[in-house]
Amino acid sequence: MKNEKLIGVFNEIALFERAVQIMKDSDIEIEELFMPVPVHQAVRNVTGRSRLPILAYFLGLGSIISVMSFLYYTSVISWPLNIGGKPSNAFPSFIIVTLVLTILTVTILSLLAFSISSELYPGKKADIMDLRALDDKFLIIINSDKVPGAENILRQNGANEIIQTPG
Amino acid sequence: MYNTKIRGELITGNKTMAQVTSDILRPIEDAAPAWWYVAMALSSLAVIWGVYSMYLTVAYGIGMWNLNNSVGWGWDIINFVWWIGIGHAGTAFSIFLLILRQKWRTSINRAAEAMTVFAVICAGLFPSLHMGRVWDAFYVLPYPNTRGPLWVNYNSPLFWDFTAISTYLTISASFWYLGMLPDFGTIRDRTTSKLRKAIYGFFAMGWTGSSRQWQRYEALAFVLGGMAALLVVSVHSIVSTDFASSVEPGWHTTIFPPYFVVGAIFSGFAMVMTLMIIIRKFYHLQDYITDSHLNATAKILTFVSLIMGTAYMTEIFIAWYSGNKYEIFTFFHNRITGDYAPQFWAMFICNAIIPQLFWFKKIRGSLAMLFIISIIINIGMWFERYNIIVTSLAKDYLPSSWATYSPSIVEVGVFVGTLGIFSTGVLMFFRYIPMMAIHELKTAIKPEEE
Repeated sequence: MKNEKLIGVFNEIALFERAVQIMKDSDIEIEELFMPVPVHQAVRNVTGRSRLPILAYFLGLGSIISVMSFLYYTSVISWPLNIGGKPSNAFPSFIIVTLVLTILTVTILSLLAFSISSELYPGKKADIMDLRALDDKFLIIINSDKVPGAENILRQNGANEIIQTPG
Repeated sequence: MYNTKIRGELITGNKTMAQVTSDILRPIEDAAPAWWYVAMALSSLAVIWGVYSMYLTVAYGIGMWNLNNSVGWGWDIINFVWWIGIGHAGTAFSIFLLILRQKWRTSINRAAEAMTVFAVICAGLFPSLHMGRVWDAFYVLPYPNTRGPLWVNYNSPLFWDFTAISTYLTISASFWYLGMLPDFGTIRDRTTSKLRKAIYGFFAMGWTGSSRQWQRYEALAFVLGGMAALLVVSVHSIVSTDFASSVEPGWHTTIFPPYFVVGAIFSGFAMVMTLMIIIRKFYHLQDYITDSHLNATAKILTFVSLIMGTAYMTEIFIAWYSGNKYEIFTFFHNRITGDYAPQFWAMFICNAIIPQLFWFKKIRGSLAMLFIISIIINIGMWFERYNIIVTSLAKDYLPSSWATYSPSIVEVGVFVGTLGIFSTGVLMFFRYIPMMAIHELKTAIKPEEE
C-alpha cells in the first residue's frame, strides 16, 4: 500500500463546491478539503455538523448550577454576612453574577474544546498541503489507493491542477 | 461579485482572492510610513506622562487627585465609563452584525474588535488605580482567604462590575484572536521572512484551513458571538447600576441601564467611524471601506443620536414630573442652568444636535465631516459622563457638603496616558495585524448564490 494522495486544486469556488457535491453523491471518499474561506455546503458534505454548540449548551447548564451552588455556599453556609438586614440567600442579585460567570465559563471551556478537537495550540507546526490553500486555491484531497481513477474524477469535475504526493 | 440589494457591492474594484490577500497584508509587509513613526512617538510621550502620573498615584496615594469628600468619583470614573463605552461597541458592532448575517461587517469588524480590547484595558486601569492600594486588588476576587473566609458581597454592583468587565475583556480578546487565526495562517504561508514565519506561525496555532477546522471554527464563532451578545447588553447595564442603585439625585433612575447601553454603542460606533476613516485614508483601502460602509454607520449614528436625545429629554421630564425637589434642583438648577451648564449643553449639542447633520446626504458623503462629527460625538459622550458624575456628587442633599471639583494635573496625566495606551495599541494593530479579516472579506467577493 503506497497510500498516495492526490490533491485536486481548484481556482473557482463554485466548481469546487460542485465537485465535492458530485463526489459525495457518487460515494467517493474525500479525505480532506482545504480552503481559504469556509464553503459551507462542501464542509458539511465532508464533516457533517459540529457538535460544539451542543457541548456549549451543556457547559452552560453545568456552569449555572456550579456558580449558583458556589454563591449559595459562600453566602449562606460558609460565612453569612448581615448586609442591611437582608437575607443571606439574596437570590435575585445572584442572577447577574451567575449570568456573567456562566458566560465566562462557557467561553473558556468552549475554546478549550475547540483547541483539543481541532488539535490547535500555540506553536503547533502546520501540516500544509499547499501554500496557496490559505490564499486563493481550494483543495480536495483523495487517497488514490482507496479511490480508483481518482485523477480522472478530479479532472472531470473541474480541477485546474492535480498534484500527487506520497502519503 | 457579492451584491446586497441595499448596499450594492461590498468590495469594489473587482478584486480576486489573491488581490484581497495582497491589499490587506501590504501594511504589514511594506515598511511603515513616516506618519506612523510620528504618531507612535506622540503616543509614546502620552504613555510616558501617563505612567509617571500612575506612579505618583500609586506611590503617594489618591491624595494626588483633586477628589474631595463630596466628589469622591471624578475623572477616574468619568474616564472609566467613557472607555468602557467605547470598548462596548466594538464587540457589539461585530457580534450583532455577525448574528444578523450582515456581510458589510467584514471590512470593519477586526478594527472594531481591536478597539474594544484596547479600550477595555484602558478602562480597567481607572478602578484599579482608584483603589489606592493597587497591590490589594485581588481582594475583590471571591477566594477562600484567611479572613474568615470573608467572601465578597455578591449584592454589590461594584462586584458585578468587576466580574462583567473582566469577562468582557476575556471574551472580546478571545473572539478577536479566534478571528485572526486563519489570517495568521495566511501570513505564515506567504511570508519569506523566517522571523515572521516563526512568529505568525506560532500564533496561527497550526491552522491549515481544513474542513474540520473550518467546521469547528464557525461553530465556535457563533457560540462566542451568542455569549458576547448577552454580555454586550449586560456589561453596560451593570456599569449603570453602579450609579442607579445609589440614592444620589440624578442617578437613582430606572432609565439608566438602557440609557448607558445606547450611550456606549453611540460612542463606540463613533470611534469605529474615526478608525475606519483613518484606515481608509492612510492605507488607501477605499475599495474595502466604501462610501456605503460609512453611509451605513452614519445612519446608525443618526438613529442612536435620536435615542440619546430622547433619553436626555426623558430624564429632564421625569425630574420635573416627579415633583422631587432634589431631582428638579439637579437637572434644572445644576445642569441646564447653573455652574455646570456649559458641560450639560456641550453634551446635548454634541450628542443630540450635531449628529442630526447626518440626515443630509452631502454630509454623509464627506469624509472630513464624518471624521469631525465622529470626534465631536466622543467629546460629547465624555461630557455626558462628566455631567452624570460630577454634577450629582458636587451638590447633593446637604448644601453644607457642597464642593467644587476640578481635576489635578495627575488625573489629567492618567487620562492622557490611557489615550496614549489606546493609540499605541491601535498603531501596533495597524502595523502587525491584518486590519480586516482577510478570510471574511473573501466571502464578500464570492459570487452571489442563486
